[in-house]
Amino acid sequence: MEGIPYLNEHLWPGRIGHAGILLAFTAAILSAFSYFMSVQRADYADEAATWKKIGRGAFLGHALGVFTVVGMLFYVMIREYTEYQYVWAHVSDDLPLKYIFSAFWEGQEGSFLLWMFWHVVLGGLLVASAKNWESPVLAVLMLIEVFISIMILGIYIGEVRIGSNPTLLLRNTMDAPIFANADYLSLIKGNGLNPLLQNYWMTIHPPTLFLGFASTAVPFAFAIAGLWKKDFEGWIKPALPWALFSGMILGTGILMGGAWAYEALSFGGYWAWDPVENMSLVPWLTLLAGIHTHLVAKSTGYSIRSTFFFYIISFVLVLYSTYMTRSGVLGDTSAHAFTEMGLETQLVLFVLTFLLIGLVLLIARFRQIPEPKPEESLVSKEFWLFIGSLVLLFSALLITASTSLPVFNKIMESFNPAYVGRVITDPIPHYNKYQLWIGIFIGLLSGGVQFLRFREMNWAGNSAKFFLHTGVTLALSGALTWLCTRWINAYAWQYVLLLFAGCFTLIANLDYIITFLRGRLKVGGSVLAHIGFGMMIVGILASGLNKRFVSINTFVMDGLIEGGDSERLKNNVLLFKGVPMQMAGYEVTYVSDTLDNVTRTYTVNYQKKDESGKVLEEFDLHPNILYDKSFTKIAASNPDTKQYLHKDIFTHISSLPQVEMDMEFRKKREDSLRYQPHSLRLGQTYSFTDTVLLRDRDTFVLKQYSLRLEEITREATHPDYKAQQGDLTAGAVISVKRDDDDSTYTVTPMVILRGQLVYYFPSQINELSARVRLHPDVFDQIYTPEESLTYKEFTFKQGQIVDFEGLQLRFDGFNPKAEHPALQKEESDLAVGARMSVLTPQGGQFQAQPVFFIRDNTPFNLKDEVENLGLHLRFLSLDPKTETIQLMAARKLPQEDFPAAIELATNSLRSDYIVMEAIEFPGINLFWLGSTLMMLGLGLSMTHRIGQLYKKERA
Amino acid sequence: MKKIYVIVLVMIVAGIALLINAAGDTSTYSTFEDAARSGGKVKIAGQLAKDKEMHYDPQKDPNYFTFYLTDTEGNERKVVLLREKPQDFEMSEQIVLTGKMKGDEFVATEMLMKCPSKYKDEEIYINAEKENS
Repeated sequence: MEGIPYLNEHLWPGRIGHAGILLAFTAAILSAFSYFMSVQRADYADEAATWKKIGRGAFLGHALGVFTVVGMLFYVMIREYTEYQYVWAHVSDDLPLKYIFSAFWEGQEGSFLLWMFWHVVLGGLLVASAKNWESPVLAVLMLIEVFISIMILGIYIGEVRIGSNPTLLLRNTMDAPIFANADYLSLIKGNGLNPLLQNYWMTIHPPTLFLGFASTAVPFAFAIAGLWKKDFEGWIKPALPWALFSGMILGTGILMGGAWAYEALSFGGYWAWDPVENMSLVPWLTLLAGIHTHLVAKSTGYSIRSTFFFYIISFVLVLYSTYMTRSGVLGDTSAHAFTEMGLETQLVLFVLTFLLIGLVLLIARFRQIPEPKPEESLVSKEFWLFIGSLVLLFSALLITASTSLPVFNKIMESFNPAYVGRVITDPIPHYNKYQLWIGIFIGLLSGGVQFLRFREMNWAGNSAKFFLHTGVTLALSGALTWLCTRWINAYAWQYVLLLFAGCFTLIANLDYIITFLRGRLKVGGSVLAHIGFGMMIVGILASGLNKRFVSINTFVMDGLIEGGDSERLKNNVLLFKGVPMQMAGYEVTYVSDTLDNVTRTYTVNYQKKDESGKVLEEFDLHPNILYDKSFTKIAASNPDTKQYLHKDIFTHISSLPQVEMDMEFRKKREDSLRYQPHSLRLGQTYSFTDTVLLRDRDTFVLKQYSLRLEEITREATHPDYKAQQGDLTAGAVISVKRDDDDSTYTVTPMVILRGQLVYYFPSQINELSARVRLHPDVFDQIYTPEESLTYKEFTFKQGQIVDFEGLQLRFDGFNPKAEHPALQKEESDLAVGARMSVLTPQGGQFQAQPVFFIRDNTPFNLKDEVENLGLHLRFLSLDPKTETIQLMAARKLPQEDFPAAIELATNSLRSDYIVMEAIEFPGINLFWLGSTLMMLGLGLSMTHRIGQLYKKERA
Repeated sequence: MKKIYVIVLVMIVAGIALLINAAGDTSTYSTFEDAARSGGKVKIAGQLAKDKEMHYDPQKDPNYFTFYLTDTEGNERKVVLLREKPQDFEMSEQIVLTGKMKGDEFVATEMLMKCPSKYKDEEIYINAEKENS
């Protein structure tokens, strides 16, 4: 389709963006190479300094390139330039600006850019602060950047595409006949952001997580630098704050993902052992292991080798998780991996390259790495820290092994095409049963290790203290565990053990911070983190083990399924609007729902009553559902949660009447209704008999209905009707009664005429499964049809009075700024109104203003009507010379008493219910509080270590 | 021997033992026949039989949804899902069920659906058709 002069395209941001990509890629190569040379030529100071200068310059170039691409991509997304494939795929005109960020990192390219962006920011900080470590660390970091830039390069080598370029035009990425049209842009619309991602957590979770991923590269780069320069101990101090930073940010990013899942997704929980979740957790576990051995290495010189290993493996695991989530290998085992983009080979190379660099260096240098001769004592804190790290590694390896099953299948299939891949039958219990033991070990270790302080100081003098503190802690932990088991009904011995481990670490660390640190939190980061860990364990057990379904419908017919375990799964209840239902101690009522744009928000009322019926407690929850942008299907269902200090009540809409979920079905259903017409005069009651299908029994019964027309009006309203200029509306108030139901239902159906089209706005009576609508014949009855009028023409001068059908018409003058409900003014219009007064013999006076206008040299007139008098006036023309106007008038009184056409269908489905799931999570706040404390503890340690670094420098 | 090595060795042995043990948690995607033979809990992958009836009547039981599934061997069975009917169910390309056979029916407690990607080029083609006609 070359040579077509496309309209309205904006090509320059794409060109600048593409230049940015190329710059970022080439500058990264140059920078990595120069920094590399600067290390290799370190013996020649001048040469090394020059290489370093080039490296820095190229780093700046790379930064410029990355910022340019990011900036341009944001620019085209904000301006909604749908000629760009990335914009078309992720933005739509109804996407609020606040979600532009989420849309930016929804796609693979955007998230790669985010990752690179953070590397650049961290790289800048390293250039400024790493001093003599700058060259080797930046060399590694820039090599990583080279690999990531390849992912967005989008060049072809032969038939193979390398990377996916986000600045491509839509018409260059797909071949469709539409691109033969020069004005194709006016025909396409952006796809928009997945509604599940339209959540504020999605604005902050990905950047935090990617900063976490990016920051694991820093300890990795320091470790490689140490091995490379054979300076095995020099990197330990400067790298420590970076490792703590990484642990804190990556952990926070993972937690935010959990918060998003809990708040926006309806699976009811913060963690589901999904492969994507697992693969972000695993590098964090090994990183934590590394931080622990790092601390040991710093204070005693032991465990340097394992620290190298942990930082290398953490970063490689980050790359491996990138491969898992972006290559499509997870297939149908994960609910939220990225869509496949043909980057698999590149990703595998990325992982293998850095795995090899790390392992080869580590093995080559292994023997040279210093390790103090006498082995660590069995009762030293450091020894047990090391054991703890091994437990963390063990946990990480188990999770990785299970999660890698699809990778294993893929490898097996490539050797043996007949191999049938295996899957984990029940992932959640599978992971839980192993990680439970990790939790127990870590809990006992991180509590127990605090008592070794007595051993280290002066054992003889402190043994009494040791036994006192240990004894009291054990007793308190036991008591607390007992209380917890009562609270959350956890009686299986494994759970009790885990609870004990959690309580033990909590109390042991509290004891440490109070009696040993005497509340000096500044140095107590690690203690705080371990207190958090203890709380988190209790929170996980409380909320996970004891989550209780509130929405248990005790009235559901039993016997459909035999067997006990299926009962457990009946978690949904059906609530009719306004009908309270008792469930798990609450009286729950679906009160109302409101539609705003494409979001329908439900109000569900919870009440807790005592025996006398007094309301003890009451609250409303507002779960909502989002329709897709064309309003045909439900795109997302967002839960709402009532939060207490000790528990949450989580509520979401799991299903709705099909007519509410599927607009196509709704239309079909409406078409299939058996509407019976009935003619009714005002105030008249009409009775008839209809057959009604009895639910569940395939039989029909006869039911007596009576209809009564209460009122008929031109000014009608309906919840679904949005007024537009020029609409002709008719509405009625009708009462309906069925003989087997005591209530009389009053409905207000409406019908409108818009242009040549009739739109029905029927009213539903859910209690009777009936639907009432107004027949368009009613227009002829409340509006006088034009063809039944006989007009008479008149010529008026200003002030002149003419008699017409017993009325006096007076022309009061022109109105040059005439308006009329049916007139949509255009610029070229010449419109003028004739101000008319109508006087009745009884002395009444009415005003009317017919309008005459000229559009494109053609005269038009718009009628005005004095409804009470049945008077119709049309302004035909005006003569400026004689200052007269031509007017025609007709009079016909509206029928006082006429039959209105009403239609009733008795086979309509009920549509006033929701299917809801409600879950109570006890103690979930302990999980959030505990995990937040862990991150705070890491942050506190980081600031403390940075302080130490600078203090040393000044000294 | 250093005690660290002893500990590492113990961990490796434990790890291998656990992984062997964990192999029992895995299964291949079964067929209805396998499920009937084993009688236990299995995973079945297959496709929705779109010509057969689907039934979900939340007013009767909001946790009872039935449909027909064709497994990888082409056998078709009625499936009872003890949950609500998921949104966009008709659009599913592939369905993975966890559950067991009870008589002629497969009673599923969990379901994973694979839906077509939202990045469909459909709109482009639809608009193009409008343009041509």
